[in-house]
Amino acid sequence: MLNHALVQDVIHESLTTGGDFAEVFVEDTFKDNLLLQGGRIDKSLSGRDFGVGIRVYNGFHSAYTYTTDFSREGLLKSARQAAQAINGNGKVNVQPFQHEQAPVIHEINQLPQSVEKARKVNVMKNAADIANNYHNSISQVRVNLLDEEQNVLIANSDGKFVEDKRVHSRMSIAAIASNEHDMETGFYGPGAVQGFEFFENLDLNHYAKEAARIAVTNLGADPCPSGKFPVIIDNEFGGVIFHEACGHGLEATSVAKGKSAFANKVGEQVAPDIVTYIDDGTIPNEWGSINVDDEGNKPQKNVLIENGILKGYLVDQLNGRIMDTEPTGSGRRESYRYAPTSRMTNTYIAPGESTPEEIIANTEHGIYARYMGGGSVNPATGDYNFAINEAYLVKNGKIDKPVRGATLIGNGPKTLQTVDMVGNNLGHGAGMCGSLSGSIPVNVGQPTLRVSEITVGGRKEDA
Amino acid sequence: MNVLEFKDELFQKGSEKGFKDMELYYEKSDRFVCAIDKGEVDQFTTAEVTGVSFRGVYADQMGYAYTEKLDESSIEFLIENALENASVLESEDVEEIYEGDSNYKDISFSSEALKSVTNEEKINFMKELDKEIYAADERVVATNFFTMQSVDVQKAMYNSKGLALEDDQNYLVYMVIVIVEENDVTKSGVHIEVVSDWGKVNAKESAQKAVQEAVSYLNPLETDDKFYPVILRQDAARSLLDTFVTTFSAETAQQGMSKLKEKVGSKIAGDNINLVDDPFMKNRMGSRTFDAEGVATEKLNVVENGTLTTLLHNRKTAKKDGVKTTGHASKVSYKGTVNVAPSNFYIEPGSQSYDELVQGLDEGIVVTNLQGLHSGVNAISGDFSLAANGYYVKDGKIQGPTNLMTIAGNFFELLNEVNEVGSDLEFGPSNVGAPSLLLKGLSVTFE
Repeated sequence: MLNHALVQDVIHESLTTGGDFAEVFVEDTFKDNLLLQGGRIDKSLSGRDFGVGIRVYNGFHSAYTYTTDFSREGLLKSARQAAQAINGNGKVNVQPFQHEQAPVIHEINQLPQSVEKARKVNVMKNAADIANNYHNSISQVRVNLLDEEQNVLIANSDGKFVEDKRVHSRMSIAAIASNEHDMETGFYGPGAVQGFEFFENLDLNHYAKEAARIAVTNLGADPCPSGKFPVIIDNEFGGVIFHEACGHGLEATSVAKGKSAFANKVGEQVAPDIVTYIDDGTIPNEWGSINVDDEGNKPQKNVLIENGILKGYLVDQLNGRIMDTEPTGSGRRESYRYAPTSRMTNTYIAPGESTPEEIIANTEHGIYARYMGGGSVNPATGDYNFAINEAYLVKNGKIDKPVRGATLIGNGPKTLQTVDMVGNNLGHGAGMCGSLSGSIPVNVGQPTLRVSEITVGGRKEDA
Repeated sequence: MNVLEFKDELFQKGSEKGFKDMELYYEKSDRFVCAIDKGEVDQFTTAEVTGVSFRGVYADQMGYAYTEKLDESSIEFLIENALENASVLESEDVEEIYEGDSNYKDISFSSEALKSVTNEEKINFMKELDKEIYAADERVVATNFFTMQSVDVQKAMYNSKGLALEDDQNYLVYMVIVIVEENDVTKSGVHIEVVSDWGKVNAKESAQKAVQEAVSYLNPLETDDKFYPVILRQDAARSLLDTFVTTFSAETAQQGMSKLKEKVGSKIAGDNINLVDDPFMKNRMGSRTFDAEGVATEKLNVVENGTLTTLLHNRKTAKKDGVKTTGHASKVSYKGTVNVAPSNFYIEPGSQSYDELVQGLDEGIVVTNLQGLHSGVNAISGDFSLAANGYYVKDGKIQGPTNLMTIAGNFFELLNEVNEVGSDLEFGPSNVGAPSLLLKGLSVTFE
C-alpha cells in the first residue's frame, strides 16, 4: 500500500520533536451499500475510502494527524503536523520493520468486490419477499446490504509492519406493519466477518420473518405500562444493556482516567457470582472478531468479570502505558480518521444454569424484553436508557400479551448488581458501537437473564 | 492529480462507457480537534481530507460511486462501479443532472477572522476554560468530551451540462461535559458553544454556564409519577424536532414513511406554530446558496399558523408530486447519495422568555435534555418514550432537579398541544432550532 522506505521516512519525520513512539496506519477500503424498498432497488452506492493516519507519543501524550494526500510531500507534511504538537526529549532507535501478514483467524471465501452486484440484489429480494409475505399488514419492507473489504497496514517505530484484510458483511431487514391508525416497525440485522458466503448461507426464512413478525406483533400491542418491574431480557442482542452499561466502563479509555465505576476495583465483587463477562475477538467469523487489532496486536479472550469478581480491563497501548498494563488486543478504530483506543469486540455474559422457561416461570409479574433496541449511557454516571423492540407482560410465570413503546432506564453498575437469574442459552447479536475512535462492528451477547428491578417507561398513563 | 484534471478524464472515459450526463462533486476539509483533561492537552488532531463523488445517468438510472484517492485507478473504479450500480437500480423516478439556475444569492458563509485563529490560541483558550471550570465550584471533579473542533470545508460541483459551483464554509465549536459530585452522588451537565466571533469568547462566562448546568442536577427531589405540564427547554425541544425532521421530507412521504403524506394544506399543528427553513442564516450549520443538485436555495415557510404549506423537495420528489423543487436536495458528504434535508429548519420564536414560562407554571416539569433519541422514537407514528433530565417546578419556581425520568408522548399530538412558544430560539451545533415550548402535558415516570 505504501513502500517500506516511505513509511520509515514518515516515522522518522514524526519523531523529530522528541516523541518516543510513532505509528502509521494506512487504509484502502472498498464498500458497497445497497438499499431495497417498495420492492425495488432504490440505492446502490460504491465507495473507496483511502487515507493515512499518523500517531506520535511522548510519554502519556499523543498527537494524531490524518490525510488522504498520499504523495511523499503530503505524508511528510502530515507527520510534521503531528510532531509539532509534541515537545519531548525522547531518543528512539527506530527499529527495522519485521514484515508480517496478520495470521488469518477468520477465513473469507468470496471477497465482496469479486461478486456481481446482481447476485447481492437477488439475496435482498428473497429477504424482502419473505418479509412481505409474512402477513397482510406488512406495508413496507426495507432491506439494506452492506459489505466492505478494508486493507490495512500498521507500522510503528518498534519495527512492527503488519498487513491485514478485514471483510464485513451485513444485512438489515426492517419491516413496517400498518393499519388505519398505526405503523409499527420490526428489525433484524445479522452480520459477520465473512464475504458473500455470509449472504448465501444466511437463514433468510428466520431473519426476514422475525423482522416482519416483530412489526405485526407491535401493531396489535397495547402501550407498555410504566413503573418498576423485574425484567427478563432475552439472549443475543439483549446483551446491549451490559455492553453499554458495563462494557464501556471496562475500557481503559475510561479506567485510565479513573472515570469508570470499575476503576481500581480488580479483585472486588462487582456483580452477583452468577455473572461472568467476557470479551473475545477470536471467535471465528463473528461480527466483532478481528485477525489483528488496529495497533497490530493479536486479539485474545479477555475474561473481564469472573463469577462476579472483576478480573481486568480492555487495554490499548497508550492507556496501557498510563495503567502500566499490557495491551489486550483491544485497540480499535473505525478508519484512518481516528486514533485507536480500547474497544470491545465480541462481548458477552457467559451462560448460567437456568433454562429460559425456568426464568419466566419464576417471575410473577414483570416485563419480558424479547428483542432490545438501541440505547445510550452517560459514561460519567452510568445512567442508561434503552428501547425495547419487542416486549411482553409476564403474569403468574407466563408470557402474557405484547406491549409496545417500552423504554428501560437505570444505572449500569446497579443493574449489574441486581441480575438474579442467568440462562443457559448464550447467543450473540451484531451491532455498531460508537465511541471515541468512531463506529466499529461489535457483537453483544448473553443468555436469557433476569434483573430483579428496572424502571420501565411507557405510554400507558394509568400504570 | 488535481480535481479538474481528474474531472476531465473521468467525464471523457465515462462518456466512452455510455454515461449520458455526469457530475463530479468535490469536497476538501481541513480540521483541527483538541481535547483537554485536567490542564493537559489530551487529544490533538489535525486532518486534511479530500473526496469526490461521481454520479452519472446510464440506461435511465443514476449510478453513484465515490473515492478518497484521486488517481488513475480510482477513475476506473468510479466508472465501473457507477455503471454496475446504475444497472441494478430499479427506481421509478429518475434523477437528472441539472444545468443550473441563472441567479444564486450572493452571500458568503465563510469567516476569514475565524480561519485566522491559530491552533495555539485555541488550545490556550481551552486551558483557561479548564481552569475556570474547576475554579467555579468545588464540587467539580472532572470533565469529559472537553473538545474544540474547527473545520473548513470547500465544496465544488461540476457537471457535463456546464454547471460549476463552489462554496467555502468554516465553523468553530467547543463542548464540555462537567462532572460534579456531592455526598457520593455524581451528576453531569453538557455545555456546547458555536463560536461566531473569536473576539467575544469568554472562558469565565462559559465555565460558569457549564458548571451551573451540572450542579443544577445535584440533590434530586422525590416526585410522583403522573401527567405533568412540561416545559421542553430550547435544547430539548430542538433535539426532539431534529429527530422528527425527516417527516417533513417529501422523499420520506413518498416512501410511505411519514404521517405528513397528503397533509399539505391541512392543519397539522396549533395556530401558534410556525416552521421555517432559512438557508441564508449566518453562522448556522445548514446555510447554503445552492443545494446538492445545484438548485438555488430560498427561504421557505413550511408550517404557517399550524397549516402545512409544503414538504421539502429535491428535483426528483418535486417532479413526482408535480410541484417545483424547494431546493432541499442534500448529501451528507461525497459518501452519500442525493436525498432531501432541510437547510436551517426552526420553530419561529414566540414572546415569552424561558423564565416567564417557568413563572407561569403552578406545578410541572422542565425537561432540559433527552436521551435515546435514536432508539426510543417511532419516527413514523410519532410515538416517543425517552429518558430525560430536568427540574420540578412548583408555584412558578424551579424547586430542584428530578431523578432521571422517562417522558412519553407523540410528536404529532404535541404539535397541537403547545400552550406557549418561548422567545429563546437556539440552534446549537445543528441545523435545526427551537425555542422552549410549554406543553399541555406529558406522562412522566421517575426512576
